[in-house]
Amino acid sequence: MTDWNAMSDAEFRKEVRGFFEAEYPEDLRHLPHRPKFAEIEHWHRKLHAKGWVAPAWPSEYGGMGLNAAKLLIFYEEQQRWGVNRGRDMGVQMVGPLIIKFGTQKQKDYWLPRILSCEDIWCQGYSEPGAGSDLANLRTRAEMDGDDFVINGQKIWTTMAHDATHIFMLVRTDPDAPKKQQGISFLLAPMDQPGIEVRTITTLSGETEFCEVFFDNARAPRENLVGELNKGWTMAKALLSFERIFIGSPSLAQNALGQLESFARGRGAFEDPVFRDRFAQAALDVEDHAALYARFADQLKRGETLGADVSMLKIWVTECFQRITELMIEAAGPDGGTIGPLQVGNVGVDVLSSFYKARPTTIYGGSNEIQRNILSKAALGLPG
Amino acid sequence: MIRELAEAGVFGVTVPAENGGLGMGLAAGGVIAEEVGRVIAPEPVVMTIGLSLGLLRRLCPNHAKLEQLVGGECVLAVAWQERGPNGGPAEASCRYENGKLTGGKAWVVGAVGAQGFLVVAEGRAGPVLVLVAAGADGLAVKERRQADGSAMGELSFSGTPAEELASGGAVRDALAEAISDATALAAAELVGLSERAFEITLEYIKTREQFDKPIGSFQVIQHRAVDLKVMCEVAQSGVREALGLMDRETDPKARARLASRAKARAVTAARKITRDAIQLHGAVGYTDEYDIGLYLNRALVLSAWLGDDSYHRRLWLEAREEEGAAQ
Repeated sequence: MTDWNAMSDAEFRKEVRGFFEAEYPEDLRHLPHRPKFAEIEHWHRKLHAKGWVAPAWPSEYGGMGLNAAKLLIFYEEQQRWGVNRGRDMGVQMVGPLIIKFGTQKQKDYWLPRILSCEDIWCQGYSEPGAGSDLANLRTRAEMDGDDFVINGQKIWTTMAHDATHIFMLVRTDPDAPKKQQGISFLLAPMDQPGIEVRTITTLSGETEFCEVFFDNARAPRENLVGELNKGWTMAKALLSFERIFIGSPSLAQNALGQLESFARGRGAFEDPVFRDRFAQAALDVEDHAALYARFADQLKRGETLGADVSMLKIWVTECFQRITELMIEAAGPDGGTIGPLQVGNVGVDVLSSFYKARPTTIYGGSNEIQRNILSKAALGLPG
Repeated sequence: MIRELAEAGVFGVTVPAENGGLGMGLAAGGVIAEEVGRVIAPEPVVMTIGLSLGLLRRLCPNHAKLEQLVGGECVLAVAWQERGPNGGPAEASCRYENGKLTGGKAWVVGAVGAQGFLVVAEGRAGPVLVLVAAGADGLAVKERRQADGSAMGELSFSGTPAEELASGGAVRDALAEAISDATALAAAELVGLSERAFEITLEYIKTREQFDKPIGSFQVIQHRAVDLKVMCEVAQSGVREALGLMDRETDPKARARLASRAKARAVTAARKITRDAIQLHGAVGYTDEYDIGLYLNRALVLSAWLGDDSYHRRLWLEAREEEGAAQ
């Protein structure tokens, strides 16, 4: 088994880049939507055969065992080449959860099925009354013989209509003194009469989000991960790496590249006002990347990141939005037109970029929530 | 004060070791400039490191004045810009012939208190760098008061005697490089200034109470404070990265582009931070009694000097397009 961490960063980057460039299907690069599994199954098989499905997992569970530094390189290369993340909820969330808190039996059963995508996972966290205030969730799971019986509703469940399983936070003790207590982690199969999935059509016309309704749905007792009523603490433990990843410069960098070629084609660079706003956006991206590098270096030195890493997410998502707004501006009278706009021999879908940028300031902890956290944890402000 | 700074090795930071300096590069100079910014010191540190020594170490590294500058024995102000009839910048017309200067120079930082001037003038065969002593015959220095209490000098020469130090294309090139250095260092000074202004403001909103609570407990104040913090951190990282890259870059155009990146970021951040700092202090922020206003005033001067953010974004984009076209 290859010890990737023993390689130099440059060697490793070359290896990863080489594989993506040689093997990743051209027509799947920079996909503008989240694919269903069938669309990327062929690529997933290649990745699985190579043993690269789970870069962050320890190698004993079939992962690549990458340390933080190598992991960052892996993701940077993935984004650089526009390699789709695939249906990676299992790899990103369920696997680490089971590896950290699951029993041996759970590991033996679920982990190989995640790697092979025999099971495809969706994340059941948010509810109609539990968005930013996630701990307010009310979906109940009660013991009935050897099963949990689940009643309630999840929402914004990404790709639930193309998932075989859902991992969810459920309320198992409604009488706990604090709402963060009494929450558990449960795994449930989707293919059963008690579960109904309805897709939600977004502003961009996509249907990647779903509502999931539970009406006496069942999950066996052995699908409880970790201790009963300890789900909240476990969920928080899963977020540590996500906090830098969600602030990575790549989304804004890709959009900036798109903006530049589109605006040049359209002659927008003749306009001094546009020029200044473009330069502002480009420098916003460049200087953000410098701050990102500072945090990444901290990770590479083996230090843990503080709450202040959320600064990256705030800056880059808002910057991403400004860039896509500039694209609309550069499109002039075509700014409201659906579908690719022709510039030379490439088509740039201005509206789809614009829509794609909107939820980034909402998901992963809305930017307002991030500001609340930063004001207390990084600035020490009261209340 | 100047002597003490010199003893700490401040002025020689970018001067090669064989000329009596530390030979450490701009990134190290930036660390010093940040500290100068934090205490809004009125000392001509960035001017001396970036401009005076920037010119001398490139054009005449063995001149006695270089050693004196490094040792803090003198301060030389640098004069190269000229004011046109409409009050804005104009083409250079100040002439140097037969050992004498005639014409004028504007926007000379550190003119008051300097022992002499390094003047870039038009000679018979292109630009010349000359040295003029303070109080030389036919030299008049007019002061323009700045927001931070300093003075900007306007010089006029009528047959003023001067010592020629260098001439030709090398002067033009060295001046451009020295301006890049000073621009980047001024950006670092603004970063330090912004950080300190933010710290003072943060402390204030933690202690100032209204409605029986610290005003920093109100969400609207918290979110503004977070935005200033983010602005500060992005500026520090961006400017430090730019200065580090300038040390590894030899192409003058690429260095100028990096300097523009640094100054554009630093001015944008300092403007937002020092103005919001006044707002977050409330009415007392508008008084002469509170220090926070000093940061605003110093930021105004440092922002205008060597070009503000919109000016540098324009240069940055033009340089980027030029590089793109060359590739």
